[in-house]
Amino acid sequence: MPIRREAKSLDYSIETSDLTMKYDKVVAVNKASFKVIKGEVFGFLGPNGAGKTTLIKILTTLLQPSSGSARVLGYDLASEGSKIRPRIGVVQQELSYEHALSVEANLDLYGFLWNMSKAERRKRTELLLEKFGLRDVRKTAPPELSMGQRRRLQVAREFMHDSELMFLDEPTTGLDPQARRVTLNYIREKAKDGVTVFFTTHIMEEAEYVCDRIAIIDHGKIMALDTIDNIKHRFGGVSVIQLRFSEYNDDLHSNLQNIPGVQKIVRPTHENEPLKILVENANTSLPQIIEVSALHGARITELRLEEPSLDDVFIQMVNSKGEKKHE
Amino acid sequence: MNSFLRLLYRDLKASLWSTKSMLVVQLLTPLFYIFVAGFAYGSIIGKMPGTNISYVLYLAPGIVVMQIMFAASMAGAMLWIDKRLAMFAQIVVGPFSRWQYILSKLVSIMLQGMLNALLVFLIASPVLVGLHISLEGLLYIGSSLALGSLFFGSLTLAISVFIKSNEAFNAILNVLFTPLMFLSSVFYSLQGAPIAIQLVALANPLTYAADMLRAGLLQIYAPHLSVEIIILAAESIMAFAIATFAFKRVKP
Repeated sequence: MPIRREAKSLDYSIETSDLTMKYDKVVAVNKASFKVIKGEVFGFLGPNGAGKTTLIKILTTLLQPSSGSARVLGYDLASEGSKIRPRIGVVQQELSYEHALSVEANLDLYGFLWNMSKAERRKRTELLLEKFGLRDVRKTAPPELSMGQRRRLQVAREFMHDSELMFLDEPTTGLDPQARRVTLNYIREKAKDGVTVFFTTHIMEEAEYVCDRIAIIDHGKIMALDTIDNIKHRFGGVSVIQLRFSEYNDDLHSNLQNIPGVQKIVRPTHENEPLKILVENANTSLPQIIEVSALHGARITELRLEEPSLDDVFIQMVNSKGEKKHE
Repeated sequence: MNSFLRLLYRDLKASLWSTKSMLVVQLLTPLFYIFVAGFAYGSIIGKMPGTNISYVLYLAPGIVVMQIMFAASMAGAMLWIDKRLAMFAQIVVGPFSRWQYILSKLVSIMLQGMLNALLVFLIASPVLVGLHISLEGLLYIGSSLALGSLFFGSLTLAISVFIKSNEAFNAILNVLFTPLMFLSSVFYSLQGAPIAIQLVALANPLTYAADMLRAGLLQIYAPHLSVEIIILAAESIMAFAIATFAFKRVKP
């Protein structure tokens, strides 16, 4: 998914420089430097224990970094925390709620804490109860809810108040696919309204669905940062183009092999199997493959493109354990 | 509305309401002491030495102050609940300071303590004949309840920061509160008590709070009451400062 617009220096919601967090000998976040553009959904992907939650705790002023600096919404993280907090929303990874109050009262009290008027609170509560499928349990207290319902309450609660920047730390944990889709759609909706979203997950399909750009972190270090397409192209290795021709001969084969970027051609072993051409970048190789085929009078009867999935990229990158660094 | 008042409302609505069974216990316990212990010991003691005041009347202010001490432990318990349910982190990433968070806890238990005291006196009023409250007396009463809540609330908050488990927190409070309760002027007059007990009791903030409440309700003035007020005020401010400092250690 493309970035919405070119960013100027004032268009960043988050700017970090060599942000580092050390616990005794463990480096939870290792010189993280990145920028989050205003209005984008920025995904922070990494395996468990990679440093995602620590980074969110630092950026939301809960933890002080060991070294490095950051600006959030233009304010210095170290000295202007009180200006940052009223402008952000945070959904923590841990479930949190007022256990003695009903779902409805939880939302209302949270709106009250954020200084919303009674009319605003009532309106927003009804909207969120509807959006997050909590209308039937509005009078129920959280201990009596399922894990997924509690999570929905927690996410919905953070949308009671308006914020310029939303931190969501694995917000879909414990949600069923339908609730997950509803939550992700609502996040996209808020992003369209101009809210910047900083979103952590280890579920790749979520990141592909909702994020404009992603960073992949492992062992506290950012391994890659770009749009998902670019990361796939840069780190995902080859794409596979599957083709069937009206006629195929050795001459065509050798000419296809000479196309720049073509790594390998796998001939079919039986009639039902397509020809497979492994290329570095399908976007540049495919037009040339079509052109060469046409020059040889070979008609393409079937064409399929298999891109590497983000899962493949993620696993490959995480397994390389810090050998690759983002540019 | 001011951020602190919004937090205070939350504490009163969410935290204290969630422990309403505890609030009932905190109301019944002092009534039990006044009605049972007050009359049982009162039948033996009769009038307090050197006064025309019955033992039950003497005991009631002491019991209320003792209850303030126990109610103050709610401040620490509320922090535990907030930490366990991740609400502490949720609050402090919002438009609030840690200072406001701690103050809202203390003021909420102070208000609860005052309401509790009022209810105890109202329910026990048929047997508390002889109470006389003047304007000056109200100042003593208010100061006693407010400073008592501030001191013990700050103390339990500071303890809750350093203790790692809820069980250990409760055990420490039990170990701490029992001697504080008996080595004070809550149950008996210190005049005539063994010197060792008198010395310890005179360093006990609960004694000062009990003496102040008796001055307000019964016009019984301890020999160095004004000094006691100053010491309790100083101790309360110091306890609050320690709790605030300790609170910076709380990891969300």
